[in-house]
Amino acid sequence: MNSSAIENVTRPIVPEPIENVYLPKVAVLDRVVDEIHELKTFCWHFEDPAEQRAFKRFRPGQFAQVSLFGVGEFPTSLPPSPTEDETFFTVRQVGSCTSALHQLKAGDKFAIRGPYGNGFPMEEYYGKNLVFVAGGIGLIPLRSAIVYALAHRDKFQRIQIFHGAKTPKELMYVPKLLEWERTPGVDCHMTVDRAGADWTGNVGVVGSLFKKPGVEVPVDNTIAFVCGPPIMFRFVIKDLLGMGFQERNIVSTLERYMKCGVGKCGHCCIGVAYVCVDGPVFTYEQIKKLGEDI
Amino acid sequence: MRARVLDRDDALKIVDLLRRQGYEVIAPFYGRGRDTLFDTVTDQNRDRVQIHLPNPYYPPKRYVFPHIERLLKVQRSNGDLHIEPTYEQPLRAIFGIRSCDIAGIFHLDRFYLGREFRDIYYDNRRKNLLLINVVCSDPEVDIGEECFCMCSDTGPAARGHFDLQLMDLGEEFLAVAGTPAGEAMFADPIFKKGTEAHIARRRAILEDVRKRFKPITTSWFSAAIQDVSKGEILEKTWEEIGNRCLECGGCTYVCPACTCFTVTDRQVGPNEIERVRIWDSCGLDGFTRMAGGFNPRRAVHDRRNRRFFRKLAHYFIQRELSMACVGCGRCAAVCHGDIGMPSVVEMVRRATAEVGKAEAEKHELVSH
Ligand code: SF4
Ligand code: FES
Repeated sequence: MNSSAIENVTRPIVPEPIENVYLPKVAVLDRVVDEIHELKTFCWHFEDPAEQRAFKRFRPGQFAQVSLFGVGEFPTSLPPSPTEDETFFTVRQVGSCTSALHQLKAGDKFAIRGPYGNGFPMEEYYGKNLVFVAGGIGLIPLRSAIVYALAHRDKFQRIQIFHGAKTPKELMYVPKLLEWERTPGVDCHMTVDRAGADWTGNVGVVGSLFKKPGVEVPVDNTIAFVCGPPIMFRFVIKDLLGMGFQERNIVSTLERYMKCGVGKCGHCCIGVAYVCVDGPVFTYEQIKKLGEDI
Repeated sequence: MRARVLDRDDALKIVDLLRRQGYEVIAPFYGRGRDTLFDTVTDQNRDRVQIHLPNPYYPPKRYVFPHIERLLKVQRSNGDLHIEPTYEQPLRAIFGIRSCDIAGIFHLDRFYLGREFRDIYYDNRRKNLLLINVVCSDPEVDIGEECFCMCSDTGPAARGHFDLQLMDLGEEFLAVAGTPAGEAMFADPIFKKGTEAHIARRRAILEDVRKRFKPITTSWFSAAIQDVSKGEILEKTWEEIGNRCLECGGCTYVCPACTCFTVTDRQVGPNEIERVRIWDSCGLDGFTRMAGGFNPRRAVHDRRNRRFFRKLAHYFIQRELSMACVGCGRCAAVCHGDIGMPSVVEMVRRATAEVGKAEAEKHELVSH
């Protein structure tokens, strides 16, 4: 009996060869940068330069699966823009995998697969105003889109960045924020909920920045990127809708417990979406329909 | 016509034929009690292979999607990592697989091999798998209390996706080839040309068998699909279902169409790690829990909701062009809380019917 006959008829026709989507590739840790409390940025490169080149085609908003063998795998967003040279993640120490990553030193090897997910459709946003609203570590997944937008500055109209954190010590990527503050054609604002005497900036929730004198948030022809903790998310959405934003012009990225990243394990499935393949980027209009907690 | 007949006594010779060709043949057997199971045929147990028996609870799914499956082997030496995928591509045949389970494997095909990414581990196990379907034609033993393939339109006789289909006609079996691989088996002299009379007999038997299913409420299946898809199920109904769930995960483990898994690493040597995937269940607490403890799906009814929504929502049926429930009735048979698929379909349907009635009455009051 010839097996090729079986192949052709008993199963859907699949182009050969199939790639192994579960196979991570070895990466080398280059350096570790302390960010805020419990958060570090890990700069790395693939051992195989061909893998590095292939990976660099990722889009802002996509994610990768990081393997610490013996502990497991975890999903992480990709804060770098493909327009930057270095590849890195910023990871908080929350579970066993991320703790294992935090133990690593420059030169140590681990493994990565990806990029996965839809990412932000940046080309679709050409010609529009971009408003980025990030609460706390919500700036991590938005960083990529911001850097990408600035690298293609002429493709977009106004660019505004609003970043809020509980305290000044919890502001993310401060050197980058300061750089954006100085960049012409970018409107960058920071705020904190609570501050000591040494803070001269704005105090209040991130939404309070929208009403600050001199800040005028464009509503027409604008895409608002919103990421942050659930409470912040809900308030910012309310503010934006109140200002006249359409639900479909507000985008965010969802985090879910993910095991495979490729739409097979079922863990990330909410409503009618598999976050890992249909997301993680969704418009607010879509998020509302998914009907689960953010 | 791609059909032949063979003598009753020759049916098991198909098993011999395949074993001679190098196939590992899986077939159904009686266990030690009243239980039944799929197992590998050996010289010792060959004569105990059953043609008619209640379908085993533990579905043949594990031959394409094992309970625990190794994905990678990782060696660590001098700080270097060597990652090696581990594949298995057995030459295997399942003899006596029921029509619902044929539909189950078809669903797994659609799910694991379809869409954005293809699952290479599944593909390897599926590649050389031959399916010899046996039609449930003995109502006394083949058809269980909970079977509802009539409603899910997957049985009692599968219409496709098998390599060979056998149907008991009494003194003889009718064999229908579904693929060239199945047809190639007709070269063996045990297969003889059939007549119109055989086909007529098959039709008559099937007609009779169809009447032997319990007229259970799962004739509401398609209505339930509509209700679920339109989001018309009241929170109260999902809650009722959730309250009866003991969170044992049994329904997902016996389901031939459930696909979820988790991935974990295990140390197998001082410098060697294996990455394995293990069946998982959306019915278990922790299925969606993220590092740090936030679980977006906390209440039990949310998790129940997930399983039935995933199986019944039109969106997913369209996504895979196949439905994640094949009417085998296993979940109904194992569930302690009686919230197997048939029961849930009934609860859902009754609840929407009540709402509909209440609304109609309201309407009448207003219009009078
Ligand atoms: S949901 Fe229940 S009846 Fe449907 S295929 Fe799965 S186990 Fe069988
Ligand atoms: S992470 Fe496995 S299905 Fe999305």
